[in-house]
Amino acid sequence: MSFKYPVVMPKMSMTMETGELINFHVKVGDQVKSGDVLFEVMTDKIDMEVEAPADGVIESLVAAPGAVVEIGKPVLIMLTETEVMAFDFGDDDQPVAAVEVAATAPIVEAPVVAAAPIIVNTNVKAVPKARVEAANRGIDLRTVHPTGPDRTITMQDVNGAQLDPAILKRQEANKALIAKGIEMTRAIAQASFNRKVSANFDHASFIAAWAKVLRGRPDLAAHEHIGVALIIESKYGSALPVFRDPDQTSLNDLRTLVASTTDAAKNGKVPVAMLSGATTTVFDLTTYSMSSATPLLFPNQVTSVTIGYESETAKNISLTIDLNFCDFYDGALLLDALVASL
Amino acid sequence: MLTMAEAVREAMSIAFDERPEVFLLGEDVGIYGGAFGVSGDMYHRYGAERVLDTPIAELGIVGAAVGAALSGMRPIVEIQFSDFTAQAMDQIANQAAKIHFMLGGALHVPMVLRTPQGSGTGAAAQHSQNLEPWFASVPGLKVVVPSNPADAKGLLLAAIDDPNPVIFLEHKLLYKIPGRDPVPEGATRIPLGVSKVVREGKDLTIVATGIMVNKSYEVAEKLAAEGISITLIDPRTISPLDMQPVFESVEKTGRLMVVQEGPAHAGFINEVIAQMAGSSSFGSLIAPIKRLAGMNIPIPYAPQLEKAAVPQIEDIEAAAREIVKNWR
Repeated sequence: MSFKYPVVMPKMSMTMETGELINFHVKVGDQVKSGDVLFEVMTDKIDMEVEAPADGVIESLVAAPGAVVEIGKPVLIMLTETEVMAFDFGDDDQPVAAVEVAATAPIVEAPVVAAAPIIVNTNVKAVPKARVEAANRGIDLRTVHPTGPDRTITMQDVNGAQLDPAILKRQEANKALIAKGIEMTRAIAQASFNRKVSANFDHASFIAAWAKVLRGRPDLAAHEHIGVALIIESKYGSALPVFRDPDQTSLNDLRTLVASTTDAAKNGKVPVAMLSGATTTVFDLTTYSMSSATPLLFPNQVTSVTIGYESETAKNISLTIDLNFCDFYDGALLLDALVASL
Repeated sequence: MLTMAEAVREAMSIAFDERPEVFLLGEDVGIYGGAFGVSGDMYHRYGAERVLDTPIAELGIVGAAVGAALSGMRPIVEIQFSDFTAQAMDQIANQAAKIHFMLGGALHVPMVLRTPQGSGTGAAAQHSQNLEPWFASVPGLKVVVPSNPADAKGLLLAAIDDPNPVIFLEHKLLYKIPGRDPVPEGATRIPLGVSKVVREGKDLTIVATGIMVNKSYEVAEKLAAEGISITLIDPRTISPLDMQPVFESVEKTGRLMVVQEGPAHAGFINEVIAQMAGSSSFGSLIAPIKRLAGMNIPIPYAPQLEKAAVPQIEDIEAAAREIVKNWR
């Protein structure tokens, strides 16, 4: 039996509150397949094509091109027979039929164009010291407005870069909420990403790299420190020793610590001091020849990562994030940064 | 106040007085007093045995000096124009520079080759070159580029002391100019391989060689009045090169500009940029490194074009302003 599914204005960045509907790529009655482009949206940061979450038929177009639509409000309604498993920003209490159409302008049929990938520009130009400063202060250079020649980020740009008050507020709220504990409903609000990477690293360098990436997102932990739990399997069961601030010790020291802790854990022993304080978890699947898994989030943690086997020379990194605390975009950036630092 | 020509003559005279094995040879260095008047009256003071007028045969002059150096003398060679060292390059690069190393350190070649270089005299392409990178790229040669009379004196005395060959490149336009600082009395040496911080500022580090030190100094003084404060560093010896003061300065200013007279392509000053780019001080840069150098052309004869072919004070001033204004 088919049912109505509202395709809503997606939240594409942390600061996004509304999006402008540019045009539709479909018209009423069109058969669409999952992944077909339904409409294009413009936000303060990017333009994006919104795809059909499932196979179905377009039942009605709710918003009009040019209209500014709040996130979570329907843009069109489709009929589908699939259980749509997508993160729904919509308001459950508000029936779809009751949504007022913002504009009554006639809906113009838009030509269907080939879907273009979203390009996240990772080649930010910045003077060397700006990179050092941004890394030290946990600033994502991609969020800094460049005023230097050739759109290069200058020291002035980085010094003037301040976190959006909305982000700060959210970071505070996040910290409190993660500390309080997260309810079971979180299970439906997780997203996983994975990426192949051709790089050689051991547990120590991976843990350090991941901690360094998380250092830039202090809001994704209940604690001030970064505690990376490494799952170590043994005949006694799984041990989760926690390495605190591994990015702030020398790699050699960390290697020694990881090696001795791994040995101890395999004998069923983990130092008491390393039993608590985890803010993220790392699970190495390569010993099982698994390429990826969707790692579950542990209580009071917002991220977890698996290292999968891809080939002799490549690994497959999977990241799970809690969508209560970060966006898809954040997840992509985190994984991107992790891969880059490997 | 001594000019650079006088300071060089004074250093040679001190060395002549200190050591009987020091002597000068070259074209017209004797009775005529040198093409640019550097040796002056030395022929009359020290006689024809120690101030030797030679035939016009650069390869022979340097070859004779290398032989003399190997047999216990300390020759000072003057090549009339640095352009003419091309004639003597086998003796310079293949003999003088290598002998100490190829004979396991058993022999030394304590020779100094002094030669005027640079443009600005209307002498056209074959008498105006700046050939610093030729010499600086040959291991076994030390290369000195003095920018003022006081340094020229102290550095030349150290060069004459040095047990192996030193190329001493004197800019023609500096010969007749007194320095900002008086030339010290006596025989004080300035060690080779030590850069000099000429002035200190907080906004921009300029590394310049030879005559460009003087031009950059004028710019620094002028811009100081406008609130742009500049550190000026004169390496003095381009081989070996002392980069430490450059690193330390860039860590404070965050901006680096390098200035040389010679052509930009494969020029000596690029070595300063390369070492900066590969150093841990790289992370202190808040601006792209700015290079000012000569054009990649033979020095033109026409005076306006000759001037346009190498950095002038106005060029240095404009570039300094721009880097400080654009990169904050």
